[in-house]
Amino acid sequence: MSTLALKGPAWVTVRQYRRTLWLAGALAVLALAVVAGLRIWAAQHPVAPMKDGVWAASPDNDGYLTLRWFLEYVGVAAAVLPLAVAALVAGPMVAREYESGTYQLSLTQSMSPADWLRSKLTVATGVAVLAALAVAGIFWFGRLGVRAGWDYHWSHPGPYAAAGITVFAYALAAVAVGALVGQLVRRTLLAMSAAGLVTGLLVLAFNAYRWSILPTERLTGPLGSSLDLPVEHMYMDVGLLTSSGARFDQTICWDRANRTPGTDTQEGLWGKVEAQCQAEHDVTTQFIDYHPSSHYWPTQLIETGIVLALAALAAFAAFRLLRARHS
Amino acid sequence: MSTTTALGAELLGKKYGGRRGGWALRACDFALPAGRICALVGPNGAGKSTLLALAAGLLRPTEGTLTAPAREDLAYVAQAKPLHPRLTVADTLRMGRELNPGRWDDAAALRVVEGGGFSSDTLVHHLSGGQRTRVALALALGKRAELLLLDEPMADLDPLARHQLMGLLMADAAERGTTVVMSSHILTELEGACDHLMLLAGGRVRLDGAVDDLLAAHALLRGPVADLAPHRVVDARTTGRQLTALVRREGPVEGPWETSEPSLEELLLAHLRNPEGAPA
Repeated sequence: MSTLALKGPAWVTVRQYRRTLWLAGALAVLALAVVAGLRIWAAQHPVAPMKDGVWAASPDNDGYLTLRWFLEYVGVAAAVLPLAVAALVAGPMVAREYESGTYQLSLTQSMSPADWLRSKLTVATGVAVLAALAVAGIFWFGRLGVRAGWDYHWSHPGPYAAAGITVFAYALAAVAVGALVGQLVRRTLLAMSAAGLVTGLLVLAFNAYRWSILPTERLTGPLGSSLDLPVEHMYMDVGLLTSSGARFDQTICWDRANRTPGTDTQEGLWGKVEAQCQAEHDVTTQFIDYHPSSHYWPTQLIETGIVLALAALAAFAAFRLLRARHS
Repeated sequence: MSTTTALGAELLGKKYGGRRGGWALRACDFALPAGRICALVGPNGAGKSTLLALAAGLLRPTEGTLTAPAREDLAYVAQAKPLHPRLTVADTLRMGRELNPGRWDDAAALRVVEGGGFSSDTLVHHLSGGQRTRVALALALGKRAELLLLDEPMADLDPLARHQLMGLLMADAAERGTTVVMSSHILTELEGACDHLMLLAGGRVRLDGAVDDLLAAHALLRGPVADLAPHRVVDARTTGRQLTALVRREGPVEGPWETSEPSLEELLLAHLRNPEGAPA
């Protein structure tokens, strides 16, 4: 973390937090070294070729399994990174300055309030983007060792967060949320918790609802036929339709079959009763709702866009609040 | 006007805590001429820190106007002497240089830090209260400001250091023509150093003027108990039949009293004892 090239307010900010910055850098280098080591270890036992359409790691390849296990946590790190960034910006960077009165020092050493906040946010943004880059880079570097054998599914929260571009948007949003919360809650620990919580809720909300953004694709076929989904799909829902196209509640016929005496002992009777029931209710079609893999990047882009818009809103609010409080 | 105003206020007021908060400062009018060393005195809660923070641009007035130099041209040392605890002394001074490009004076800052008994690579959070005061004052002096606002600057210092720093401060101010506003409880530290006095009580300016003018406008009377009119009594005490009174004179004092000009300390104590003005 060279402070030689930095000037003015940025120098002050970096100098203040250089221990944290060194720690973050050391953590990234360590994670990279671990992944590199695991890749070398895993490469000594090549992954068994595909058998019966299923990839499998050779069970004795501990290096490979450890690499996969470690990358899961890199994925978790990508999801948790925004929380940490928001907490650090809100607490030590903003709230503590109010708590200890050091903002008075900056503001009477020729910095305008806007300069003061801007210098902090500029440094925080730079560092947050670098951290996101490190997490994404480490994940990809490790994943290249996984790919040939047993890849992650693109829809899983960890790989989704670490392999895409959303992590950058979340990093920026975290800085803005931190700036806002830090000013609202002028107590270091409280501000850290509050900013972490707000950012965490944002991450959780998108984990829960991101696959509801784009409408799912629907694959239909006559009752009883087999439906062929594309290989790289993300399964969302399955069900039955009547001839009019209305959705049919399958539990109606399951209840009927369950209530019919003998279905638990007599082979095939359960299925027969269910089929008869479905025919009576004019059920003709079965469907599967899914996201094809082509939905991955549009979802990433839309999520990135929404999170960036929220980031801009929070940053705007932070500067407005600052201006309202100081002349 | 022959002199320029370094710090001025018109009907200045500051209220804390929204609608239900009280007024920390109200209806303040003053015009401090440039180049003065002004002592800002008053009981606790009189509004001294509020006035200094307003002047430093850290607070917004609730009402009225305040005329102060731009952010670049004033320096402020808060009562708590806030500094970044994780920076070394050298880094703290470098911060002053980084934030005040083109005007920072390293020599002036170093003069204050010298004699503090700590090396420049000491972390600020290892400094004692008095040493922190030195660093905070160094930042303020290094900035080469037109107006120096000091909130209880010497409270943490031992008498020797106080004497040394006060001397340094006064020499620097005299040399550069800096205006200084300094709040203090230590009356002896003001005597001889300040040529202007502002007394705040209950959020209002009770006394404001050049020290010489204020002293000349008052008289200390000793003698028999008698009506002191037309002079306005600031403080009066009787011991038996003996009266000691400090009055704001209206014309020459005539009567059976022994008259003398009060010292600054006597003047201040009299006003501090009776912050709401003269008793009836």
